[in-house]
Amino acid sequence: MRHDPTFWILARASGLTAYVLLALSVLAGIVVKSRPLGNRVRQPAVVDIHRTLAALGLGALVIHATSLTLDKTVRMPPQALFVPGLSPYRPYWVSIGVLTAELMVIVYASFSLRRRIGFKNWRRLHWFTYALFAGGTVHGLMSGTDSRRAWALAIYLGAIAAVAAATTWRFLDPLTKGEENVPNRDRSRAV
Amino acid sequence: MFRIEIDRELCSGFASCVTDAPEIFELDSSGTAALRVAETGDERVLAAAAGCPMGAITVYDGESGDRVA
Repeated sequence: MRHDPTFWILARASGLTAYVLLALSVLAGIVVKSRPLGNRVRQPAVVDIHRTLAALGLGALVIHATSLTLDKTVRMPPQALFVPGLSPYRPYWVSIGVLTAELMVIVYASFSLRRRIGFKNWRRLHWFTYALFAGGTVHGLMSGTDSRRAWALAIYLGAIAAVAAATTWRFLDPLTKGEENVPNRDRSRAV
Repeated sequence: MFRIEIDRELCSGFASCVTDAPEIFELDSSGTAALRVAETGDERVLAAAAGCPMGAITVYDGESGDRVA
């Protein structure tokens, strides 16, 4: 009987979609902080976009994981989606994906818990977003079966370049550096 | 003069207002924005309100009471 490739195609497409949405969410988060467009863009709208992109990314992640367990091309037991090291397929690189996904859920959920855990702890937790992006990039490049295709490499390189440029902007931009004027006891850097 | 209100339930301590107008805003010990002055003529308060990521700052015209930011 011929193998139905529906879930395999869905797994690959949703994995790349999740990665692109994660990259866009990171970029929107940097825009919240560094305000490259000044006040021409309403900042609460940027925060909403940032959170919506992250939520959509998590949705794509759920589709990615579910379709991998339903597909027969790569054997992926359900428990391997939650516990690093249980995937028979490229266990090391899939483990990085699992840890990245779990960290993504924690960082996303922390927005709703920011008052309970404290704003400073929430911000510290948000610094892990950079690790998340790095983890997602490594996982995609090393686990993805499309990684060697030119169009997929273009997506990864484009995302890396965009996040690197925005991060550089953030740390060089005079507005963000203006936080140096905030007294030390009050300073609470956002990410 | 401008009258300023901060929705402290909405504020998430981004500190952009402190960056924009440090003479008017500060963060308290919980990391929430607080006012150093209740009223000001400093127009930077308008930029601080527009730049607040949570939309937690409202500015009113001190005389007419109209919302200006």
